[in-house]
Amino acid sequence: MQTVRNLLRNIVRFFNGNPAGIIGATIVALILVACLAAPVLTDKQPNKRVARGHQPPSAELILGSTRAGKDVYTQILYGGRVSLMVAFSAAAVTTAIALTAGVSSGYFGGRTDEIMMAVTNVMLVFPQLPLLIILAAFLGQVGPVVIALILGLTSWPWGARVMRSQTLALRNKEFVTAAEVMGETKLRIIFVEIIPNLISLVAGMFVGTSLYAIGAQAGLEFLGLGDPTVVSWGTMLYWAQSSAAFYVGAWWDFVAPGTVIALMGGGLALLNISIDQVSNPKLRTGRYLATWKRLKAEIEAKRRQA
Amino acid sequence: MAFLIRRLAFYFVAVFVAITFNFILPRLMPGDPVDALFAAAAGRMPIETLEAYREMLGFVDGPVWVQYLQYLKSVVTFDLGPAIMMFPVPVTEVLGNTLPWTIFLAGFATLFSIGAGCFIGLYASFNRGGLVDRFVPFIWQFIASMPQAVTALFAFFVFALTLKWFPLGFGANPDLDPGWNLTYIGSVLHHAILPMVTLVVSMLATWIFTMRNAMVNVLGEDYITMARAKGLSSNRIMIHYAARNAILPVVTAVSMALGFAVAGQVFIETVYNYPGVGQLIIKSVSARDYPLMQACFLLIVLCVLAANFLADVLYVFLDPRLRK
Repeated sequence: MQTVRNLLRNIVRFFNGNPAGIIGATIVALILVACLAAPVLTDKQPNKRVARGHQPPSAELILGSTRAGKDVYTQILYGGRVSLMVAFSAAAVTTAIALTAGVSSGYFGGRTDEIMMAVTNVMLVFPQLPLLIILAAFLGQVGPVVIALILGLTSWPWGARVMRSQTLALRNKEFVTAAEVMGETKLRIIFVEIIPNLISLVAGMFVGTSLYAIGAQAGLEFLGLGDPTVVSWGTMLYWAQSSAAFYVGAWWDFVAPGTVIALMGGGLALLNISIDQVSNPKLRTGRYLATWKRLKAEIEAKRRQA
Repeated sequence: MAFLIRRLAFYFVAVFVAITFNFILPRLMPGDPVDALFAAAAGRMPIETLEAYREMLGFVDGPVWVQYLQYLKSVVTFDLGPAIMMFPVPVTEVLGNTLPWTIFLAGFATLFSIGAGCFIGLYASFNRGGLVDRFVPFIWQFIASMPQAVTALFAFFVFALTLKWFPLGFGANPDLDPGWNLTYIGSVLHHAILPMVTLVVSMLATWIFTMRNAMVNVLGEDYITMARAKGLSSNRIMIHYAARNAILPVVTAVSMALGFAVAGQVFIETVYNYPGVGQLIIKSVSARDYPLMQACFLLIVLCVLAANFLADVLYVFLDPRLRK
């Protein structure tokens, strides 16, 4: 009970005076719930032909139909499940690797640190997308699971660097020294003393990587590197492009998936910025800062009068 | 100097890793990639060329390290063979034709984004809590978080297809002869506007945030308080004390951004049908032209590394601590 109340209080504190966070979280939550509730929100199937090809939006087909006569609205809902699943599992893999690599190289130091950082730095200079394209091309048309794995296994280096530098800073804090003097095991120090202090970074990284993975997956699938039989936001763009939806005036065919990808990306980005501002309060801006500036100006004006 | 040599050694290792990656990938593929190449060429390739390919990709008789040395040799001597897609034009020539377009697009877009982004970021940090600080970075971040493929598609649909302000593709009007005359240069610029704007839109937010956050962090340092206590003017503190130091993390971010620009290039060139390396890599993927694809990848890696090295040199120039 106590922990639940604490959690709630923390959540309220996070959103208080943080409009970017509120807007971001609302958008993400709405899309997430809509995708999960897909069978309730639509009675059609994403892969069933329900109308003639390229029908404009109407009361029956809220977002029109694709070239193959499938309902765009239904595809968005069911495709979102795939896209979000890929994004979140890629983010989970990335965050786990980055946390493990960063904390162990930061805490143990020495040889471990040198080798890990050399690998990380080399990985970091490779432009990621061309690397993904080459990998996907050699593997043939890849399904969502493989895309999630490729994204998860290649996106961790930047996060590992951030985690490492934060661990280095924490390792020299008094409470860690105290724990060492008390004879706590290294494992306990890492899990009880260090990782809890990295939670805001972990959260920020998870959100940031999800944002990146949404875009990268959509991009790879749009370029035709994904499995085109799976319905996801990226393959919707791919089919819109390859059925020349542009040129025949069927704008809804790509505007719908494009918009939902953009909204999801925007929501995650806003959430990410607000997490940044919580972990580094100096970066904050907004209502309170403006109030403080106004008060300061008033005080100075009074002082000048006196 | 020692710093630059260390960095150079590091880039050298990175190039090696990229080459090795290229060497290993075809070996992980099921079946013989050279046979796949032969099938992809659809009868346009004589059997001798096939043998040359086998040699170039390192599929020679002998243990793996002999194969690896053979592959290294063909990469270092730029002997990359003919491109299957445009047989018999050599890979190096195909790449040479596309590279200037990509550098032109990515270079100008990156420079412009850095300049404009740093300016907006500086302005926001000068006026903390002001209108620009409160809204511009957030709104911009919202727009910029759209995947580049989506931004490019939307811009293409609205400005090129519907409003017809810009051409539907190519680097310049294909009816014109390339040359240093006003008509041709004008045509190149006209074709570059939309791809460049798309690239800038998606990159600008990073710079606004990097610059603003770096400034905010520097403004809390003791030497800023000291400068205030000395009674220096606000402008002098901001530009000579704060911005001078805040620029360092920004320069570090350049390396990240270049990889990002090259990556974004792939989508933007594909959507706008722009004749750069990004489009070439996608074309070679769909034509199953593995040698060309790998050469594209290697070239992109080399460009990013070169740009990283430039950023390092700039860093030495800006940070006196590294010049010892």
